[in-house]
Amino acid sequence: MFHRLSALFILTICFSLLLESQTKPVEGLRDHTPAVYALTNARIVVSPGNVIDNGTVVIRDGIIESVGANVSPPDDARIKDASGRTLYAGFIDLYSDIGIPDPEADRDQRNVGQLLRQIPAQFRSFLAAMIAADEVPEGTLYWNPQVRSYIDAATVFKPDKQKAATLRSQGFTNALAAPAEGIFRGRSALISLGEGDGNELVLRDNITQNMSFDRSAKIGGRYPTSLMGSIALIRQTLSDADWYVQAHEAYATDPAGKQRPEMNIALASLRDVVGGDQPVIIDTSDELALLRASKIAQEFNLSMWVRGSGHEYKRVAAVKETGLPVIVPVNFPSPPDVSNPEKARDVSLEELRHWNFAADNPLHLSEEGILFAFTTDQLDDKKKFLAQLRKATERGLSNDETLAALTTTPAGLLGMDDKLGTIEQGKIANIVVTDGDIFSSKTNIKDVWVDGHRFEVEAVPEVDVRGTWSVSVVNPEFEGTIEIKGAPERLSGTITFDEKEVELKPVQYDMQRLTVTFPGDSINIDGRILMSATVTQEEMFGSGTYPDGREFNWRAQRLEEFTPEENEKPEHRIERVDLPAVYPAMEYGIPQLPEQPQNVLIQNATIWTQGTQGIIENADMLVTEGKIARVDRDISPPGNAVVIDAEGKHITPGLIDAHIHTSISGGVNEVGSTITAEVNIQEVLNSNNIWMYRLLAGGLTTANALHGSANPIGGQNAIIKMRWGALPDDMLIDDAPKGIKFALGENVVRSERRYPNTRMGVEQIIRDEFQAAREYEQEWQRWEQTRSGIPPRRNIRSDIVLEILNGERHIHSHCYRQDEILALIRVAEDFDVTIRSFQHTVEGFKIAEALREHGASAAVWSDWWAFKVEAYDGTTYNARLLHDQGVLTAIHSDNTQLATRMNWEAAKVAQTGVPEEEALGMITINAAKMLGIDHRVGSLEEGKDADFVIWERDPLATNTRVEQTWIDGRKYFDIEDDEQMREEVREQRAQLIQRALDALEAGEGPQQARRAGISPFNEDYSCTEDHYEFH
Amino acid sequence: MNFIKSFSLVIIISLFCNALLYAQIPAPAQPHPVAITGATIHTVTGEIIQEGTIVFENGTITALGTNVDIPDNAEHYDAEGKYVYPGLILSYTNMGLTEIGAVGVTSDFNEYGDINPNVRAEKAFHPESEHIPVGRSHGVAITITSPGGSRISGLSAAMMMDGWTWEGMTLHAPTGLMIDWPTIDNNDDEGRKQIQLIKDAFDDARAYHRARAVSDDHRTDMRWEAMLPVLEKEIPVVVQANDVRSIQDAITWSESEDIRLIILGGRDAHLMIDQLTAKEIPVIITPVLASPARPWQGYDEIYAHAARLHNAGIQIAIAGGYGSANAMRLRHHAATAAGFGLPRDEAIKSITLYPAELFGLSDRVGSLEEGKDATLIITDEELLDLRSNVEQMFIQGRKIDMADKQKNLFERYKEKYRQLSE
Repeated sequence: MFHRLSALFILTICFSLLLESQTKPVEGLRDHTPAVYALTNARIVVSPGNVIDNGTVVIRDGIIESVGANVSPPDDARIKDASGRTLYAGFIDLYSDIGIPDPEADRDQRNVGQLLRQIPAQFRSFLAAMIAADEVPEGTLYWNPQVRSYIDAATVFKPDKQKAATLRSQGFTNALAAPAEGIFRGRSALISLGEGDGNELVLRDNITQNMSFDRSAKIGGRYPTSLMGSIALIRQTLSDADWYVQAHEAYATDPAGKQRPEMNIALASLRDVVGGDQPVIIDTSDELALLRASKIAQEFNLSMWVRGSGHEYKRVAAVKETGLPVIVPVNFPSPPDVSNPEKARDVSLEELRHWNFAADNPLHLSEEGILFAFTTDQLDDKKKFLAQLRKATERGLSNDETLAALTTTPAGLLGMDDKLGTIEQGKIANIVVTDGDIFSSKTNIKDVWVDGHRFEVEAVPEVDVRGTWSVSVVNPEFEGTIEIKGAPERLSGTITFDEKEVELKPVQYDMQRLTVTFPGDSINIDGRILMSATVTQEEMFGSGTYPDGREFNWRAQRLEEFTPEENEKPEHRIERVDLPAVYPAMEYGIPQLPEQPQNVLIQNATIWTQGTQGIIENADMLVTEGKIARVDRDISPPGNAVVIDAEGKHITPGLIDAHIHTSISGGVNEVGSTITAEVNIQEVLNSNNIWMYRLLAGGLTTANALHGSANPIGGQNAIIKMRWGALPDDMLIDDAPKGIKFALGENVVRSERRYPNTRMGVEQIIRDEFQAAREYEQEWQRWEQTRSGIPPRRNIRSDIVLEILNGERHIHSHCYRQDEILALIRVAEDFDVTIRSFQHTVEGFKIAEALREHGASAAVWSDWWAFKVEAYDGTTYNARLLHDQGVLTAIHSDNTQLATRMNWEAAKVAQTGVPEEEALGMITINAAKMLGIDHRVGSLEEGKDADFVIWERDPLATNTRVEQTWIDGRKYFDIEDDEQMREEVREQRAQLIQRALDALEAGEGPQQARRAGISPFNEDYSCTEDHYEFH
Repeated sequence: MNFIKSFSLVIIISLFCNALLYAQIPAPAQPHPVAITGATIHTVTGEIIQEGTIVFENGTITALGTNVDIPDNAEHYDAEGKYVYPGLILSYTNMGLTEIGAVGVTSDFNEYGDINPNVRAEKAFHPESEHIPVGRSHGVAITITSPGGSRISGLSAAMMMDGWTWEGMTLHAPTGLMIDWPTIDNNDDEGRKQIQLIKDAFDDARAYHRARAVSDDHRTDMRWEAMLPVLEKEIPVVVQANDVRSIQDAITWSESEDIRLIILGGRDAHLMIDQLTAKEIPVIITPVLASPARPWQGYDEIYAHAARLHNAGIQIAIAGGYGSANAMRLRHHAATAAGFGLPRDEAIKSITLYPAELFGLSDRVGSLEEGKDATLIITDEELLDLRSNVEQMFIQGRKIDMADKQKNLFERYKEKYRQLSE
């Protein structure tokens, strides 16, 4: 009984402190305390750049009534003297999950709820109500649980006092709170960071729809498992949302004879997103993710804001071009751990550079004119927000810009600039009170006003007890002095009688009450004396107890104010190392696109044209404006030509790899489904990839970046050139035919819990998918004829398969065994489709005639075999037999390390008896033909792209090196420049490591190392995973 | 360079017959002397002999030079324009202990538990492995077949790539004790525990041998019994270690144990040249065909590694990947090292003489000298050119069947297309 009563009592107290909902019946007496305040004598930063040096702000019932230098406080106002204080408008954080329950926590809470069945009924129902609010409604959701667009922050919001206080301590008065889980996460609500119940604190609901590329592990669902899968799901969902509106409109107009469109609240919740009526916020992990997001925004005409990553500075021009506002975190990294040589060795220049430059990010955004706002998101400790922000202002971001990004910019984005963002008449009284310039490290936030209520951030004692006081104790009489000093939260002091000083221990002071204890030695009393007193500015009156139990009175008079000692450590600021911007922002990055000379003439070389001219010795090659102009003997140089004497050297076309998996972000396989035609490698290309440079160093200029081999129908491919320093889209060969990855055999059948588990099933599911696409096409054709009724739903997966069936997209199929190859050929033939290429094709040599007759080409390894059963019949003679039988044959790598030395793979094919020129053709012109890009690359013939390699000697020799690699008539690799760049990389790393050591010594960081040691093999991903070099 | 490279007709025909009728039958003991003439002979220890002759009898080299008496009953092998090298030695592989990587039951190289010093590679060596003939076709005559995967994995053995049984194929065993040194950081408790496993094993083994010396009654412990040749420095420990700390920890430990150490891997070995040379620790580089682990390093960091260590005076050997299917790429690794600064003769030694020296085999194999085993290969072009073919191999004078699974498939499907074209 006692427990129940005390719990009720506690609840009552809580509620009485809260602001209550206006619809809730009042329990007890009504509260009509006036809420009128005047902050006087303040320095008022009305808005960025608009300052009143000495003025007054009047607040009435949560709203700013007046502001100005000459405003007199109204008679009913409580005057708060704000001399020495600076007032700023409250900050707004556009990216927060404050008050949004965590689905995982909910689950625990539900369990807890069950466990607490035995508690008294009224508490149980109270708990049950809390839990019920978190229950996910069932029945009309999207098929994929990662689509949680219907979750409404305003519905699930639960005030979180602690988080609100933390945000206030950094100057924030409002936050846009949004659900934080899933790919579509739900709708945000604008929250006041005061105290009260949800009805009071939610300012406005349904503001943005929040999205992410990251699936939530806390929510179920098999699909998607990769970044490209997330993008595909986002696109399909948005497309469905668009369809949903149309379908329901069509049905509402005339339901007769139509199938009722499904009810789906997840899609309904996206109604205003497609078309841009409701903004979406998407979070990004780097600058490339931002560019990916912007493409989705364009495609679906979204009004998008991006939660940035802090990496935007790396591609600030491209970010600017998207036109998207950026909500930017201040998660500037700690220095990398370089505290011993082993660790220092493992830190990349990319990491060091980012540490060095991260705090410049906001300045770059500002200089570029990008609309941006700050967020506390991405900070592990949100109490460090201001300290982090100050690092950005130290790098030159102006105070006005900084303030705008915290106040007027977010208010404007929210469309609430009439209510928030400045200290102006009529606005909500959200005000930050500081003791100086808020962006100076010496400044402290004293108070924050939210909705006209004052919240103390830093407790300022009304009376400072510190200083020197004369003490008189009566009965028996002692005269002496007390001195109190130290920091307010850790006071110390002494008491002196007869020039004998003893220490007060402890010294406690709170709410104008001082309590001290000291040993009686100085007054010849054995034991400890206890004293306390009430304190005003000038006097103390107190009482005390002697060790023998006698009680006494005492008083004190102030002799001196406290003066703090000036022994603060000088601030240790780690200056940025000035390094040139490079693209990508990592080792071997280049300052700009390599120049394209109007004319380049290479002279006296052995030129492997891989075209009709064959191999020409002592030949010249003229390149004009990025294209091959002529290959011949004795070409006379045009006047402005860059002439390269290549005597003794060999020139080949840039090498082409028909199968790689590098330069792909967020997973090479989408394993969440058996058929994933909708995912696209082009959407997830990663240009920040050191392997691109290494590939150039091996003479590789073009590659087919493919989805992995987990699915019978995998994802769409990307045919790229190794344009080091370019952005992902600029890596693509713009007129390359579209392609898609298929896969057969062991890899696709080994997941026991999904169809197919056999090669028989693989044949059937591909056939079924082709059939489905044809039927889908008919559905559309029927609708196109009448354009009446409910429009068919666009199915991106089927759209892509349809492109295959219509001959608009090449199939590149992973395969090993002859039976599966033949089976796919027959399926394709039944649908009048030609398989463009088989990849790996380990048993291709067994059915060369079938490949030839079908018109398929084959990409093979030179010598991989026996790493799995279906590779056991691998033979180095595969390419030779295929080639001899007239199959267009290419050598591929499927392994990035191998891709850096494809010339030697060709040499191994030559060993089996393939003529050398034809062997080289397997990594140049044949691969180009296979990929349908031979009009651009693959041979050195007039009109083709000037992609070529200058070799030290015979390209098939083992003692040959790439001296230069050119793409589009631009030199991307030069072995001499490489030497110089290594030196620069060494110098820059050394310089940054020294600076990081300074920072570590000054007490910053360190970051946790991402990995320990080095791996003995480093070959990046391949379809065969670790089977090649297993150990 | 523009001509088609092909096998000599003789070889093709013999291959064809072999493929159809015999399929890789182990060779009989050398029946009569053999004289290879007209070849460029890379003796490895001596000068290269141009247009030289090499004679061997009963499995042993009896003469070599430009002016050599050829016994009357010698089988004559005309190698004009061709090259003779010692049979290649692959110093780190699971050859014979695995067949298909993805099929667990075909993998016999990783015994259960952490400490397995007693398991012996030769005992489970599978003479019928299809990898053996394929390796031979690329010049590998001897493998140091090594257990792997445990902290102390077991004893390796030098295996000849031809024979009816593992006993007949064993050239020498054991050749080394395989140890995998953990990569650790400061305050890394798990790493420390792993290192302690190794240290304790050696402590326990010494205690065991002291106990055995004191009393014959002390019962047998298979593990510590097997470590005697290591403790007595008859064979080395082969310690896989790649980063600086692992390598240095291994060196310090091996000194305190007074045992012979070979570093396997040694990616960061160039950062402790001084210590490696002062202590005369050899390094087996594996593999050369790899890219650097750290993005700031030059693209050719690993390609040039062998040259860097060699130039600093460190004894090296070159191996490829551990998997038996990689045996065919052994010379590719050496050739790459040569392409990136290692003198070509040193590159050849790193896959012949140096492994022989490291594993105590150099009195018999690894170079072409009178009195040594006639274990050699004949190639049509220089060995370090990937376009060259190994035409013939002799192991202890036995003429090896050069067919293999891959060539057989080639012949089989050539026949298919011949039939189709009729």
